Amino acid sequence: MFVTALPTIAQMVGANRILRGVSITHPTGDPDLSTGVEAALRRRIVERALEMLVTEVGPTTIWELQP
Amino acid sequence: MDGGARMTIIHYLNQFFAGLGGEEAAGHEPVKLDGPRGPGRAFAAAGAAPDVTLACGDDHFAEHEPEVLATLLAWLEELRPHVLICGPSFGSGRYGYACGVLAREAGRRGVAVVAAMTPDSPGVMAAEGAAYIVPTGSSVASMKAVLPSMARLAARLAEGETLGGPEEEGYLPRGLRVMVRAEHTGARRAIDQLLDKLAGDVRTEVGSTGDRVPPVPAVSDLHTVRLALVTEAGCVPQGNPDRLPTRHANVWLRYSIADADSLGAGAYESVHAGFDTTAGNDDPNRLVPLDAARALERDGAFGVLHDSFYTTSGVDTPVATAAKFGQEIAAELREAKVGAVILTGT
Amino acid sequence: MESILADLEIATFAVDEVVEGTQTGWSDGRLTVSLPQLAVGAGESALAEATVEVVRPGDSVRISNVLDAVLPSVKADDAALTFPGVLGPASVTGASSFAMATSVAGAGRTHRFDGLAVLSTCDWLRAGYVGPEELPDSFVDMAGPGADRSPFGSTADVVIGYVPAEGAPVDEVDAAIRRETLRVSRELAATTLDVEPAHAATLPWPPTPADASLPAVVLMLQVASEGPLTDTFWQGEPLRELDPTEADPRAIIDGALTNGAYDWPAVRNVTAAYQGSALIRDLFAAHGQRLRFAGVIVAPGYLDSAEQKQRSAGAAAELAARLGADGVICTTFSSGNSHTDTMLTVQACEQRGIGTVALVCETNGGLTDHVPEANSLISTGNEDDLVEPWTPDRVIGGEGARSGEPVPTWAYLGACSQMGETTWTAVPA
Repeated sequence: MFVTALPTIAQMVGANRILRGVSITHPTGDPDLSTGVEAALRRRIVERALEMLVTEVGPTTIWELQP
Repeated sequence: MDGGARMTIIHYLNQFFAGLGGEEAAGHEPVKLDGPRGPGRAFAAAGAAPDVTLACGDDHFAEHEPEVLATLLAWLEELRPHVLICGPSFGSGRYGYACGVLAREAGRRGVAVVAAMTPDSPGVMAAEGAAYIVPTGSSVASMKAVLPSMARLAARLAEGETLGGPEEEGYLPRGLRVMVRAEHTGARRAIDQLLDKLAGDVRTEVGSTGDRVPPVPAVSDLHTVRLALVTEAGCVPQGNPDRLPTRHANVWLRYSIADADSLGAGAYESVHAGFDTTAGNDDPNRLVPLDAARALERDGAFGVLHDSFYTTSGVDTPVATAAKFGQEIAAELREAKVGAVILTGT
Repeated sequence: MESILADLEIATFAVDEVVEGTQTGWSDGRLTVSLPQLAVGAGESALAEATVEVVRPGDSVRISNVLDAVLPSVKADDAALTFPGVLGPASVTGASSFAMATSVAGAGRTHRFDGLAVLSTCDWLRAGYVGPEELPDSFVDMAGPGADRSPFGSTADVVIGYVPAEGAPVDEVDAAIRRETLRVSRELAATTLDVEPAHAATLPWPPTPADASLPAVVLMLQVASEGPLTDTFWQGEPLRELDPTEADPRAIIDGALTNGAYDWPAVRNVTAAYQGSALIRDLFAAHGQRLRFAGVIVAPGYLDSAEQKQRSAGAAAELAARLGADGVICTTFSSGNSHTDTMLTVQACEQRGIGTVALVCETNGGLTDHVPEANSLISTGNEDDLVEPWTPDRVIGGEGARSGEPVPTWAYLGACSQMGETTWTAVPA
């Protein structure tokens, strides 16, 4: 599946499992957070990605970090 | 449109071309500036001098699209332009996308739009046929050739002229399909086309508009799956030992992460030319989430993390090249019995 | 396939002028029509009323709620055999009317008019038979910016307006409408029966022997029959539960196949499209020269499940292979999931090494469906293309009818025929 801060472009080119990333310059992180909080965020992103991988989806489906 | 009244032309630029700054200004909020800026100064010669320039940072547009659009469209509503010119955005993905989205929304409100970008730019699809898009090369080297074309189309649209077809006028087909009379009936054309096809000459009057793949069935057992990390963020070992191009990448690369728990700041960097790499360089896990993936692997959340990650820099990459990379990487992953991939993009 | 009946001969008579008069008759291109003499609707208890008028190209008229278009046609040897199963007996041999390989239609001489069509109209919504969303608008414009969309805007038309009898069941009303429209078509053509035609085209079937090195081409004609007001009829019987079946092309163009489907006017087949069938005529003409005309298969569209669609597509391809096809031309019936039936049929043929071309109409959203094997398509237009607003002096057959508003091309009867009857196509812009 695809983690990106530009999910609409991902839809246009036909990616089917899309998870909205944090930002263009840091899709799986956030420099404004403290180290510990950022680590938890990144863990949550990968967990959500795994959730999406085990879920049947329709075409070009976008998930948010928080369901 | 009253004859004799001056046409109003608005020009949309990103932060760089409007002179607000480089990548560090990619988060700039939308602004309204008087007169032409940057490339807009060249439009006067063709009679399409912008009265107002609107500008916005590429990242800001992408990350705050609804609010930015609201602001820009409110200005368009106030200024009532005859024509909106967007770009040229060349090969830039984010800038092209912003131009395309603005074009689409302006088009829906009855504004004629001219833009310029590579045929592969996401902005072409985003525009949904609302703009006359002059095709460009991916770098600014084609600037000199493109500006007069843009200006001429804009000037004619501002006069209320109806433009001819794409080939004749030099713009990309807008994805519209208009009714025309063929010389022969569909029946006659069908027989001719079939006989030609049987003789080896295959042609079609219409093709599929997208390369669509149905969603792959979900992973049935996460606990046994081999998971791979792939990225187009241009993440490479420090120093870029294999010289991954920063744009127009013609290769993808694979690096071992067999014993690694994390992508360390000194050990890895991003060479992607399309975004501000500061945050990614300070912590490359922000581009390829190895540390979190490894921790989850240890905790048994999934089977096994594949021992390599795959990387390329997705800047000005033609769609056909990207598709080829995808097929090649997928072939290797399948060979290695990888069952799931997390792809990160910028 | 053995044929037990004489070859089909079609004699065409021109209609250059239509006038109203006391006696219906044709002479040298001039058709006189006595509307009272036609007595449309008389004796049909399911109809409350039938009005008739003649319209001509250039009249500031929009015809609305158009159901079908029929080419005036009569069997010269025995008029009672015209439109078998609807107007007369379905079979001379007593064979089942579903046997599409034998029919009373398709043999002997037929007289046909060129330059005149009979149009049936009925405001089903007003009569309470359909909901507002159920049947889309259906127009023929005789002038204005949309006049050239429907082919029937360029011919004189005898327009019959039907009003259902209160409380009559919908299938009885529809049967009465179809009977009367076909009967009027026959009556009009019958005015030529005492005239010896200057020229008649002979269409032999099976076709004359031809050079075996020429490619064999089969026509795959898609039809659909989904219930009253959306049916296709073979000799008066609706083609529900249709399996892909070989059919005599002469019977198809000679009145065995008639239309009773009234949705999506631009892209489904009117009776006149079966009678005119440019594909069948052109395949006959090219036989022995550029190709061998190897047969026609009538196949269903709009099958309900993916499984049924796959099975039918496979059966159609198998049949085409058995007919010796090197190439197949697939037509499409109407909009929507019938395009999936077309694409699956293309795929099944290609997988058996049969080259295919399919005719499809586009939408603003592109193709409705596609398969990788569909590499050779004919576009019959873009059904979403808008025609500029027009306010006709008169609307007949209904009210409102988008007068003064833009009209999407899908509303024009026969405009984007996916049997390839017209020259409309779409190009990039």
